[in-house]
Amino acid sequence: MNDFAHLAVTRASLDNCVKCTICETQCPVMAVTSKFPGPKYIGPQAERFRNGESVDHSLDYCSGCGICTLSCPQGVQIAELNAQARAVMKEDHMPLRDQLVSRTTVMGALMTPVAPLANGALRIKPLRKIVQAIVGIHEDAPMPVANGRTFEAWFNKRPKRTTPAPRGALVFFHGCAGEYFEVETSIKSVEVLEHIGYEVLVPKQGCCGLAQQSNGLFDTATKAVLKLCDELTSAGKDLTIISSSGSCTGMLKHEAHEIMGVDDSRLKDVGTRIRDISEFLLELHDQGELPEDFQRIEQVVPYHAPCQLKSQGMGLPVIPLLELIPGLTVVESGANCCGIAGTYGLKKEKYEIAQAVGKPLFDMVKATNEGLAVCDTETCRWQIRKGTGVQVEHPVWLIHKAYGLS
Amino acid sequence: MSTPHVVVIGSGLAGLTAAHRLMAGGARVTLVTKGLGGLQLSQGTIDVLGYAPGRVERPLESLASLPAEHPYRTIGAEAVATALGYLTDVVVDDLLAGEAAQNVWLPTAVGAVRPTALAQPSMLGGQCVRGARFVIVGPKQLKDFHPALIAGNLARTDLPDGGRLDARPASFDLPGRDHEVDSSGLTYARALDDPAFRARFAAAVKPLVEPGESVGLPGILGLKDRNAWRALQDLIGHPIFEIPLPPPSVPGMRLNETLTNGLKAARARFILGSKVVGFAADGDVLRSVTLGEAGRQVVIAADAFVLAAGGFESGALDMDSYGVVTDTIFGLPLVGLDAPLIHGDYWGAAQPVFAAGVAVDSSMRVLDGDRVVYANLRAAGGVLAGAQRWQELSGDGIAAASAVIAADSILGGRA
Repeated sequence: MNDFAHLAVTRASLDNCVKCTICETQCPVMAVTSKFPGPKYIGPQAERFRNGESVDHSLDYCSGCGICTLSCPQGVQIAELNAQARAVMKEDHMPLRDQLVSRTTVMGALMTPVAPLANGALRIKPLRKIVQAIVGIHEDAPMPVANGRTFEAWFNKRPKRTTPAPRGALVFFHGCAGEYFEVETSIKSVEVLEHIGYEVLVPKQGCCGLAQQSNGLFDTATKAVLKLCDELTSAGKDLTIISSSGSCTGMLKHEAHEIMGVDDSRLKDVGTRIRDISEFLLELHDQGELPEDFQRIEQVVPYHAPCQLKSQGMGLPVIPLLELIPGLTVVESGANCCGIAGTYGLKKEKYEIAQAVGKPLFDMVKATNEGLAVCDTETCRWQIRKGTGVQVEHPVWLIHKAYGLS
Repeated sequence: MSTPHVVVIGSGLAGLTAAHRLMAGGARVTLVTKGLGGLQLSQGTIDVLGYAPGRVERPLESLASLPAEHPYRTIGAEAVATALGYLTDVVVDDLLAGEAAQNVWLPTAVGAVRPTALAQPSMLGGQCVRGARFVIVGPKQLKDFHPALIAGNLARTDLPDGGRLDARPASFDLPGRDHEVDSSGLTYARALDDPAFRARFAAAVKPLVEPGESVGLPGILGLKDRNAWRALQDLIGHPIFEIPLPPPSVPGMRLNETLTNGLKAARARFILGSKVVGFAADGDVLRSVTLGEAGRQVVIAADAFVLAAGGFESGALDMDSYGVVTDTIFGLPLVGLDAPLIHGDYWGAAQPVFAAGVAVDSSMRVLDGDRVVYANLRAAGGVLAGAQRWQELSGDGIAAASAVIAADSILGGRA
C-alpha cells in the first residue's frame, strides 16, 4: 500500500532547501512545543535519512497545516513530504482511533438520526473520559453538533424553485460537515448562489477523504476522492463546482494529487473546476458581475483564514469580498493556524498543543468580536467556538444577510 | 490613468517597498509571491553601501565613484535618500533610525564590525567607537550566540575611527522554554514578549554588568512587543544593545512583519504561495501575468507590473547545467553574462555571475540595448545587474530606492 508515499516523489524538492528557517518561523506547532523540532528538520533534513523507516517519530507531531510549504520561498514541499513519511511510518500499526476519526460520513450518518441523543452523549463527561482512555480522543476536544436534518433532506424537500436562473447552472459540493453538521452554511451558500441568478445542482455525493489522507490512510482516501469526482461530474461535465468547505476544496484542488499522487483525469477535471465560494464571488466582483446591492451591516468581524484555505495560494478572497458590504470591517486574525488541523487537535496526546496553537487566535477573537467571528472551514469553527464561546460562522452568512436573505 | 492596478511580483524589501509606495499613491496593488520574502532573513537594518571596496563612511557621497554599470549610478543619491526617508516614515513604531548619508558601525554575531545606514533603535547602543566598553552577554541555551567569540574579535579589531574598544564575555543559564538546551532566537524573542520572562532574563543579566559598561545582547529582545528592549533596559539599569543573529533573525522578522502587515491593513491583495508561470503581452505592453494557484492557473491583468522577485537566491534568475542564465519569469534580456561567470578561486574576487541581471533606464524600465522591453514593466531590487551586493553591502539601498523610483514613475502616469 501507499506506493506513492514509499516512492516519495516530492522528495525531489528537498534539495531546494537552503535551510533559511522561514518555515520554522511560521510553523504554529514549533512555536508552542519542544516536542516538534520543526518543518526544516522533520521535512527536508530528516527525509534524507529515511529509507522506508522513519528515524524520528516526532514526525507525528506535525499537524499537516501546510503553512511551511506555503511560506517556503524555494518551493520545497515540506508538508507533503511529512504527510507521505507519516503514512509510511504508521502503515503497520495504524491506531484504531485514527481510522475512526477519519470516517467523517459514518460519524455524521450515525449521529444525525439521533441528534439530540448524540449531542447529549458528547456532553457527558464520564463518557468522554472513557472515550479518551479507550480510543484516544481528548475528553475536552471540540466535537461537531449533529443537526437532526441533513442538507440533502432540506434541498430535496424544499418547494420547487420558480425564480429564473439566467446565469446557468453550478454544482454545489457540500462536504461531509456541510451535509450533517454545518447544514445552515450549505443552505445559505445555495440561497446566495440562487439569489444572484444561478441554478444550483446537488448530486448525491460522499466524502473527499481528506481526514483519511491526513491520517495516512491513502488507499481509502484515494477511493473516496475518485468516487466523489464521479459524483460531482454526474451533475454536468463542464459546470463550475462551488464549495463552502474550504479544506475539502483544497483536497480536490491539489492535496489528493500532491500528497497521495492521485494521477487521474477525473480528479484533474474536478480539481480545476472547483472554486471556494468566496473565491468565486470575488472573481465575479472583479469581472463586474456580482450584484452588490448589499444592505448595511455595521459590525467589526474577526476573520480567521484556515491554513488549508491559505495553502490554495489564492490570497484571502474573503476580506475584499466581505468589505463590499457597507459598514462591515473585517479584522484578519493574523494567526497561521487555529490548532485543530483537521483531526490533530482531537487526539489526546495533541490536544494541549492544539489549544496552545489556538490561544493567540482565541484571544484575538475574544478581543475584537461584536458577537460574531467568521472562518471558512468547519473543524476550525468548532475549535474557535470551543476556545472562545463566540458564535463562529462561515463568511457566506454575512453575504446572505447583506443580500437580505436572513 | 485614474486608479491603476499594479501587480508587484516578490515580497522582499523591493516588492514590499514598491507596494507600499504604490498604495500610498492611490494605486490598487496585487502582490504575488512564491513564498515569504528574504527580508526576514536580513539583520533588520538597511545598508546603502558599506565597502567600495574600502570601508565607506558616507555612502551617498561614494555612489558616484562606483562603476558606470552599477545600479546606483542609474538610481542616484537623491533617490536613495528619498527611499530611506520613506522607509523610516512607513515603518512605523520607531523601528528604524539613522540616515542614508552616514554609516554607523555595529557588531555582528561573529564580532566583526559592520557598516550600515539605518538600524533598529535597539541596536544603536552598540556603535563600535574608540573607548566603548561592552560586556557581551547571552543565555547558554541560545544557539548561534557566542559571547567569547564576539567579545574577543571586537576587542582585537582596529576600529574605523582608529581606536579600540573594550569587550568581555559573560553568560547565564536560562532556557527559552521548558528544558530546551538549544533554543533558537525566535523562541527567546517570543518568551521576551512576556513581561514575566523579561524580568527573569533581566535578573540574570544585571549582576554580570560592571559600572560604565554597555550590554551587548543577542537580537532576540521581543518580536511583537516593540518596546520589550526598552523595558528590559530599564530592568537591567545599564544601556543595552542588540546584536543580530543568523536566521531566524528576529530583527529581520520585525521589519518584514511591519511592512507586510501594513500592506495588508491598507488592503493590498497579498497572494502568498503561488508562482508566476506565464504572461501575456501585446507588442511592448504587458497585459497580464498567469499565476499557478492550487488546481488551476489564474490570469491577473494589470496596467503596470513591478518585477521584484530577486536574483539567483530566490530562483528568479537561474543558471542551467550548460551555464545559461535566464530570467525565469519574463525571459527578459540579461546583461553581465560575459564569460566566465564563475571562477574557481573560492576566496578570490567576487563571482561575476552575481552581478548578472537586467539593465534598466532611469525609471526602472527593463532595457534590451537602448530599447525598452515593456513600457509598463519595471524592475527593482536583486534582479538589477551590476552590483556585488553581499560584498558591497549595497542590496538594501538598491532594493528600496529602485522600488520607490519604479512606483513613482508608475504613479506619475508613465506606466
